[in-house]
Amino acid sequence: MADKSLPQLLASYRERKHLLALLKEIQEVYGYLPGEFIPEIARSLGLPVAEVYGVGTFYSFLSARLQGRNVIRVCKSAPCWLKNCELIVETLKRELGIGPGETTRDGRFSLQLTNCIGACDQAPAMMINDTTYVDLTPEKIPEILGGYK
Amino acid sequence: MITVQLNGSEVQGRPGMTILELAQENGIDIPTLCYRSELNPIGACRICSVEVEGARTLVASCHTPIAPGMAIHTHSPKVLQARKSIVELLLASHPDACLVCDKANLCELRKLAADLGVGLPRFRIRKRYYPLEDVSPYIVRDLTKCILCQRCVRACREIKKQDVFAIAYRGFDSKVVVDQDQPLDKEVCRDCDVCISFCPVGALTKREEALVPKKGIPLIMKG
Amino acid sequence: MPEKRIVLKNCGVIDPRDINTYLGQDGFKALAKARTELTPEQVIAEIKGSGLRGRGGAGFPAGLKWELARNAPGTEKYVICNADEGEVGTFKDRYILGRDPFSLIEAMAIAGYAIGSQTGYIYLRAEYYYLLNLLQNAIAQAQEGGFLKGLVIEICEGAGFYVCGEETALMDSIEGRRGEVRFRPPFPPTQGLWGKPTIINNVETLINIPQIILNGAEWFNHIGTERSKGTKVFSISGDVERPGVYELVMGSPLRELVEELALARDVKLVQVGGAAGRVLPYQEIDTPLAFETVLGAGAVIVFNESRDVIDIVFRTMEFFAEECCGKCTPCRLGTEAMIEILAKFVQGSGSKEDLTVLEDTARMMQLTSLCGLGQTAPNAVVDTLQYFPDLYQARISKSEVP
Repeated sequence: MADKSLPQLLASYRERKHLLALLKEIQEVYGYLPGEFIPEIARSLGLPVAEVYGVGTFYSFLSARLQGRNVIRVCKSAPCWLKNCELIVETLKRELGIGPGETTRDGRFSLQLTNCIGACDQAPAMMINDTTYVDLTPEKIPEILGGYK
Repeated sequence: MITVQLNGSEVQGRPGMTILELAQENGIDIPTLCYRSELNPIGACRICSVEVEGARTLVASCHTPIAPGMAIHTHSPKVLQARKSIVELLLASHPDACLVCDKANLCELRKLAADLGVGLPRFRIRKRYYPLEDVSPYIVRDLTKCILCQRCVRACREIKKQDVFAIAYRGFDSKVVVDQDQPLDKEVCRDCDVCISFCPVGALTKREEALVPKKGIPLIMKG
Repeated sequence: MPEKRIVLKNCGVIDPRDINTYLGQDGFKALAKARTELTPEQVIAEIKGSGLRGRGGAGFPAGLKWELARNAPGTEKYVICNADEGEVGTFKDRYILGRDPFSLIEAMAIAGYAIGSQTGYIYLRAEYYYLLNLLQNAIAQAQEGGFLKGLVIEICEGAGFYVCGEETALMDSIEGRRGEVRFRPPFPPTQGLWGKPTIINNVETLINIPQIILNGAEWFNHIGTERSKGTKVFSISGDVERPGVYELVMGSPLRELVEELALARDVKLVQVGGAAGRVLPYQEIDTPLAFETVLGAGAVIVFNESRDVIDIVFRTMEFFAEECCGKCTPCRLGTEAMIEILAKFVQGSGSKEDLTVLEDTARMMQLTSLCGLGQTAPNAVVDTLQYFPDLYQARISKSEVP
């Protein structure tokens, strides 16, 4: 899949209301919101740079820092906590050699802790990109990670 | 005209008027921080909260319109306790630098604390320390003192029709930023001190007045 | 009271990818009835008469909301489905959306007809991206079937923020802004999305609509309690043997859900309504679940005897601090202060004064916060101070002079 260039992206999101959708797609394509894009987005939508920056730093699925190709979000809210999500986090830390908020050196994974992802009936749970993994055990982790390049 | 009960007296107001405006017309002083009559209200600081009988919560008087039959209490014990508690939070997260602050006793936060009788906060919370922004030839920004009332943001936008500031980040980390969180250094700020005049605390100062001996109004004992 | 399926009627019965299976279960008959036999005012009268109240937590009467939007001046109006369930322990909307997307679309079409709207939005939380395709497919099939004439339904994805489930923050997010809360009034039915009249209903609220139109207000009004009509879908999780989604008649006792259906043992406390909800100790297990008592969005988290109450409260507060938008002082700084103080109790170094500060700050947040998030954030603190005061006392530093 050829990555879309910024001008292509800007051309498909022309209105003020598209700002969030545009930022989400840039995040998806580039793995973060490159700072040099922000003024161009602002110009294209006729918005102040600070406002675009304000939106870009508000949502947890957007990031100003380069994320790994695959973003792991482990749920830490009460229902997952009761089902030992800490063990899952420990396993991930060991497997990946990074802590929450960090990215592996090869850029393959970023590890994040997140609040409730709505899979409490199958806790503990985590998301990798758009996919939710449930009923996790430490044993399942290596195989799940193996599915991501 | 709309008839309401204001602190036990029957008063009349015009449709569309806020509780705050009605109180002001009737000589009742409700404290405010994020509110300024020249700006659109945002209801952020909650200091102007008042009690309306029958309401589940207090309501912010700066943006709540009066309604027929409302029974409003602007200084009930419940209201005063809540205001004190809000000021305590603001003080707890504010740097303890009043003695050397240029805003001195012109500071609205200090005045509020004095009026409500709030002294040293009973608890500690994180303070948000930011480097002093003194690169602009016109304005010095010290965001460590910012209380996020957004008056500068709105004054710049609504009065000067400029958009120098916006709010970025979220929750406790929220911050009034310029561009992509760069130190303020804009040429549009030449000959303009609107945001400075709207800052209730010492977060914004004129360049030529910053870091010179402070000049509050003399403290005169009442009585 | 037994389980009763109104909202979950089609879940597991129809194929969520095939509209024909939905049509086989009286699908889109309510919409046809509304459009051919009822005026928009009559539709609203039915919803009002049914006593249906919002299922997202606030419990506002749905029919009244619709009526306000219908009567608001202007021709441009919006119908929004709030599918941003972010409350801790809530997953009922995920369950419903994945199994019966058609009922939601039919309900939105009925809502559009009733208030006079040509545009609908489904605001889907980013964490439920995997449901996007299913929903788009359902919308496309409904369109092809000619059921959506006059209404365009768009799906708007969130980007990860609990506060965007709050209706005014949600609208700002759809507008492409920071999802910060707006003050009210004006309320969305008169001034909502882009300042136009807007109704925002939770997924579960909407799913009730076709059933009410088909069976009549009277039928619905006879189910439940005096001020809570119909059923409620609960998401139950935590220390239970059978976590999951259960639909119960309003007013059913908490015990039925927790012990009989989810098979919980040795219950210490139950959080009803998620992080923002109320904490009930085991002795309150017979509390009926209804708007009159406790309900929220129907998230029920069970904690057994082995759990530490202060730890639970601390984590709850951490959640709110992380998910606070930052606009108003009480919530932005109040959550922060509570975390600092609760941390001391977690470590056993609290003080008597800390308890007073907790109470003062909690009260102030409940009374003055700009939105429901800040107003409900201290609930767990307030309730545990009431039900488990000894546990706090036990964490007061031994060194403190009595």
